[in-house]
Amino acid sequence: MGNLTSALLERLERDFDITDITERHERLTTFKVTRDHAETLIRELRDREKYTHLNFITCIDYIEDGVFSLVYMLQNYVTHTMLGVHVDIDRDKAEMTSIHTLWAQAWTYQRELREMYGINFPGSPRLHEDFMLEGWDDMPPMRRDFDTAAYSTEHFGHVDRESEEPRQYMKVQFYPNRGGDEE
Amino acid sequence: MTQLTGHSASLDFSQPEPVDMSSGKYVKLWQGPQHPGITGNMSLELTLDGDEIIECKTHVGYLHRAFEKLMEGRNYIQNFTVVCRIAVPEPAFNEYLYAEGLEQLSGIEAPERAQWIRTLNLEMMRLASFMMWIGGQSGAFGLYTVPNWTIAYRDYVLDLFEEMTGGRIYHMYMVPGGVRFDLPKDFDKRVKEVMDGAEKLLDQVERVMYNNVVFKARSKGLGIITPEMVDPYGIVGPNARASGIKRDLRKDEPYLVYDQLDFDIISGTGADAYERAYLRLQETRQCISLIRQCMDRMPRSGPLQAEMPNVLHWKIPPGETYVKAECTRGEYGYFMVTDGTEYIRRVFVRGPSYTHAIAVMEKLAVGTNIADIAGLMVSLHTYPPEIER
Amino acid sequence: MNLKDLLSPFYVWQRAFEKPYTSMRPIEERPGSPSYRGFHINVADTCVGCGCCHTICQNDAIDMVPVEKYSGNKGDSGLRPRFDYGRCCWCALCVDMCTAGSLRLSNEYIWTSREPADFMFVAGVEEKHWQDNELGYRREKSYHLYPPRRIEMEMLSPDESIEGFDEVVKGYDVEQAKKEADRCIECGMCVATCPAHMDVPDYIKSIRDGDYDEGLRLMYRTNPFPATCGRICTRRCESVCPVGLQGDSIAIRWLKRHIVDQVDAKDYARILNDNIEENGKQVAVIGAGPGGLSAAYYLRKKGYEVSVYEAQDKAGGMLRYGVPGYRLPDSGLDKDINYIVSLGVEIRNNTRIGTDISFESLLNDYDAVFLSTGLSVPSSMRINGEDHPRVLSGLQVLADAASGRDPGIGNKVAVIGGGNVAMDASRVSRRLGADVTILYRRRISDMPADIEEIHEAQEEACTIVTQAIPVEIMDAPDEKQVIIKWGEAEMVQDPKGGRPRPVLQEDRMHEDTYDCIISAIGQGSNLDYLSKEVQEQLAIEWGRFTPGEYQHTSLEKVFVGGDVANRTADAISAIEDGHHAARGIDRFLRPEMYTELDQEIS
Repeated sequence: MGNLTSALLERLERDFDITDITERHERLTTFKVTRDHAETLIRELRDREKYTHLNFITCIDYIEDGVFSLVYMLQNYVTHTMLGVHVDIDRDKAEMTSIHTLWAQAWTYQRELREMYGINFPGSPRLHEDFMLEGWDDMPPMRRDFDTAAYSTEHFGHVDRESEEPRQYMKVQFYPNRGGDEE
Repeated sequence: MTQLTGHSASLDFSQPEPVDMSSGKYVKLWQGPQHPGITGNMSLELTLDGDEIIECKTHVGYLHRAFEKLMEGRNYIQNFTVVCRIAVPEPAFNEYLYAEGLEQLSGIEAPERAQWIRTLNLEMMRLASFMMWIGGQSGAFGLYTVPNWTIAYRDYVLDLFEEMTGGRIYHMYMVPGGVRFDLPKDFDKRVKEVMDGAEKLLDQVERVMYNNVVFKARSKGLGIITPEMVDPYGIVGPNARASGIKRDLRKDEPYLVYDQLDFDIISGTGADAYERAYLRLQETRQCISLIRQCMDRMPRSGPLQAEMPNVLHWKIPPGETYVKAECTRGEYGYFMVTDGTEYIRRVFVRGPSYTHAIAVMEKLAVGTNIADIAGLMVSLHTYPPEIER
Repeated sequence: MNLKDLLSPFYVWQRAFEKPYTSMRPIEERPGSPSYRGFHINVADTCVGCGCCHTICQNDAIDMVPVEKYSGNKGDSGLRPRFDYGRCCWCALCVDMCTAGSLRLSNEYIWTSREPADFMFVAGVEEKHWQDNELGYRREKSYHLYPPRRIEMEMLSPDESIEGFDEVVKGYDVEQAKKEADRCIECGMCVATCPAHMDVPDYIKSIRDGDYDEGLRLMYRTNPFPATCGRICTRRCESVCPVGLQGDSIAIRWLKRHIVDQVDAKDYARILNDNIEENGKQVAVIGAGPGGLSAAYYLRKKGYEVSVYEAQDKAGGMLRYGVPGYRLPDSGLDKDINYIVSLGVEIRNNTRIGTDISFESLLNDYDAVFLSTGLSVPSSMRINGEDHPRVLSGLQVLADAASGRDPGIGNKVAVIGGGNVAMDASRVSRRLGADVTILYRRRISDMPADIEEIHEAQEEACTIVTQAIPVEIMDAPDEKQVIIKWGEAEMVQDPKGGRPRPVLQEDRMHEDTYDCIISAIGQGSNLDYLSKEVQEQLAIEWGRFTPGEYQHTSLEKVFVGGDVANRTADAISAIEDGHHAARGIDRFLRPEMYTELDQEIS
C-alpha cells in the first residue's frame, strides 16, 4: 500500500467511518462503508482523489448474513491503484442510492443488478427494462438461493443419464452383504 | 506522462427524452441480432429521422449463458474450461485472468517460463483478434477484400494456437499454476514464418484499406470520442488512446513479463474511427514485435507448472481480488471472491464492451447516418458475450 | 482527396496470382496438430474404471457404465467411461485426471453419423475409426491434477532401530497427514479390495476436514483394530489404489494410524457412543486374536453377552505374540483391545479349550460358538535332524521376545524361510545382537513377505541367501552350535506355466555352522481340542475350515473365522471374518430381525 493511499485511507476512516480495510494486492485495497455514506464518499474519491475511473459495480450475495455486498471498484490513473468500496445492504430490502449521475455507464450496472439480484436503485434510468433476461419471471437468478439445476429440470425436463459410481457398483457386485452396516 | 481527463460538470449523462413515435415522423429499425454488420449477437434498436439516427438503444442477452452463475457451482479446475467461452474472439484473456486470480488468492506463483509462455499466448491472441477486427472494420465500410485476407490470415495464427495449445479457439491452456504443456518442437520457426507473413500482409492492408479514399472518407470524423468523455464513460484501451489518453495496463501496471519487453504506448489524437483504426493497425504490428521478443527472450527450459494441491479438494481461503490485463479493447478484468470452500463465491467479469457497446455506443450513434452505424460499432471493437457473460 | 488514395486500392490485383489460403478437402487432408484435442481414445484394458474422468467432467459428458468384458474386482471396477459428444467440450480434463494413463485424445476431429445415439460411445470398447491414431493430446508428464508422490514417512534409521524394540515408523504429524489425505481421489476402489471393506475415502476425508472423531467412528464401523491395522495391515487397498498407477498409492495404512494417534483412548467411549441393548443371548469365542475379538466387538454391539477363551496369558493372538514390538507396540494393540473389553466383553485368559474346558460344554452352555484359533503350529522342514535342540521355531522366538523371555539364539543364526515370520524373526534376532543369515529356496521376488519388510531386514544388515535349499541338520563339535547342510538351487521354468521351481544342485552343497537355526517356513493349525466326531462334522480340509456364506459350518451353532478359516491369513481378513460371523450369528439367533433370512443359515 503506497503512502498516498494509506494517508487517504486514514482520512476516510476519520470522515466516513470506513471499516474492514484490507490490502488485497499492492494495487488494490478494499474497505466497507455504510449505505448512507457511500455516494458522498464515492463522489469525493472521484472529484478530489483522482479515482476517476469506475471499473465496475457488482454484488456478492452473502445470503447467510442476509446482506448483499455491493462493490464499487474505482481506479486512480495517477497512482495506478484501485479502491474497492463495499457497501452492505439488507437483502430483504435491497435498495441503494443510484450513482448514475457520477458515471455514464453506471446505470447499466445498476440495471443489471436489478435484474440479476433484484436490487432497486431509485431514479436510475431504464432500471426496469429487461437487460439480459427477456421475459424472465422467476427469482433474480444470481441470488444464491436460485437453483439452476432445479430450474432446468422443471422447465426443460432435464433427465440425467445413468452412471455408476465405482464404489457403490463394486459393493453391489462383489460384497453386497458386507462392509459397514447401516446404522 | 499519463494524461488526466477528470470529470467535467458540463457532461450530461441523462437519457434522451422519449421519441414521439405516434407523430409518424420517425422509423424504428432493428439492427441485429442477426446482421452481418453486428459484432456478434447483439442488436441496436435505432430510431431514425430520415436516415439520421436520433436514438439508439443496445440490446444484449441473445448469448447469455450465465457463466458467472455456473462457475459458482463448479470447482476451481472445472471453471478453467468454462472461462474461455466468455469472449469468443479473445478467450486467452479469460484463461489468464482466471488463473492469475486463483494464484493470487491461493498464494501460488506460476514459474517463470510459464509466465513467458502466457505473455506470448496473450500477444498471439491480441494479434488474432486485431486481424479479425481489421477485416470487420473494412467490411463494415463495404470493402470486402481486406476481410478475406485478414480473416484468412488469422487462421494461420490459429494454426499456431492449435499447435501450441491443442485448440484453435478455446485453448484451455493457461491452467491455474502455469501452462498445460511445453511449446512444440520447432515452434519458433513456424512463429517466425507466420509473423513475417503477417508483417507483409499488414503493409498490404495499409495500402489498400488505410490509404483507400473510400475508407478515409467514411471513417474520418465518425464517432469522435473527446478526451473529456474517457473517464466519465469508462472508456479504455484503443478507444481512449486514440483520443490522446496514454494508458496501457501492460506498461502502467505491468503483469506477467511485460516489464521485460520493449514497447511504447501507442496513442493518437484524431479521436475518430479512422484514428482508432490506424492505432489498431500499429498495435497489431506491436503484437508481432512482442511475439518475436517473447520467442527470443524466454528461458529455453524450466518448470511449467507450480506445485498444485489435488484439484478435487482444492479449497481457497476467504479472499477477494481484482486482476486485469490489457486486451485488444482495453482493461479486461476478473473480480473474484473466495470463501474458503471448494467453490468460488463470486466471479465478476469486466469486459470493455460493457461500456463501449452500451453507454458509449448509444451516445455516439446519435446524429450519425444509418449507413455508418455498422462501421461505428466495429470501430468501438465490442464483443457482446463479455457484456452478458 | 489525393490521387494516391484513389490509386492505392488497386494494389489488390497484385495478390490475384498468389496461392489461395483454402485447402482443397477432400483432395488434401488437413490433420489436427500433434497435440490437438480431438476424439477420445481409451485403452480399455489399461483403464481400471476408477471414475475420475466422470468426477472431473464439468459437462456431465462422461458416464461410467458396466462393460461385460471387464468383470471387475482386484483393482478394476468393471466400469468404463462412456462419452456423450452432445455434451463434451474436449477440454481434456478427463485426460489430465486419468489415474491409469489409459485415456487420451486423438487429433482426429471429423466424424459424421446419421444416428444421434452413435455419439454416445464407450471409448476403447466400441470400434471407432480413429482408435489407432497415435497423435493428439496427452497429459504432459510434469503436469498433475493431484500430487503423485507420497508424503514421506519418517522412520528410525536402521542403526537406531536395531538398538531396541522401539517402533520404527514415527507416524505422520497433522500437517503431513493432511497433505497425504489431500492426494486421495475418492474413487473408492480400495473399499472393494479391503477384506473388511473399510470406508477408506470417508475416513481420509475426515483427516482433510480435521474431524478425527468422525474418522474414528468411520473406522469402527468395519474394524475394531484401527491402531493395529494402521501399523501392520497387509494393505491390499494400497495395491489397488489408482493413484499408485502413475505415482505412489495413498498411504492408507499410515493415515488410519494417524487418526488413532490423534484420538485419546479415554475419548473413545464418548466418540463411538456404543449404546448396548442387552438381548439376553450368550456367545462363546475361542481365541482372542483379531478374528475372535472382532466377532466379540460386533456381537457385543448387538447386545450379546460374549466370553472369549484364550489359551495365552494375554489377549491379541498373533498380533501380540507374532508381531514384534518395533512394528506393533503393545500400547497400540492394547488401545484397540481395551476399548473392546470396555464394552463388557469378557476375556478368559490362560483357558485352553479341550484342556481346561471341553468344547462340548461350550456348545451346551452358549447359544453360539465362534472358533478362531489361528495357526499356531510351525510347519516342518521335512529334513533330517530337524529335531535338533538348536533348531528353534520362528514363532517361538517371536513369542519369547514379545513376552520378554530370552529365546537363547546365540550370536550367529540362520533363518529359514521368506515370509513375514522369517523377516520378523530375523530382525528380532538382530535386535538381540545376533548376525543373521536368511536362507530362502527361491528368489527375493518370490518371497511372500511384504516388500518393505524385506527391505528393512536388508537395511538392518540381515544377509539374504536366495536359492538355498536346506538338506540336513547335523551336530556341531560344540554342542551349543549346529551345522546346516544346504545346496544351491537353480530356478527351472514350469512347462505348465506355473511359477518357476527351485531344483537342488547336488554338486553345489555347503555346510555352515550357526549358534541356532530358526525355522520359519509357515504354520498350521492345531485342532486337537475338537473331538474326532466334531472335526468330521466341520468339514476340515488340510487343517482349515471351509465356512459358508456367513462363516457358518455344518455343525449348528458353530461359526468359524480367522487364519484357520481363510486362505489369506492376515489380520484384516480375520477381522472381517469376525465381523461377518457376528452378522451370521445374529441372523441365526435372531432371525426375526431379518425379513429375508438366508436359508443357508437356518
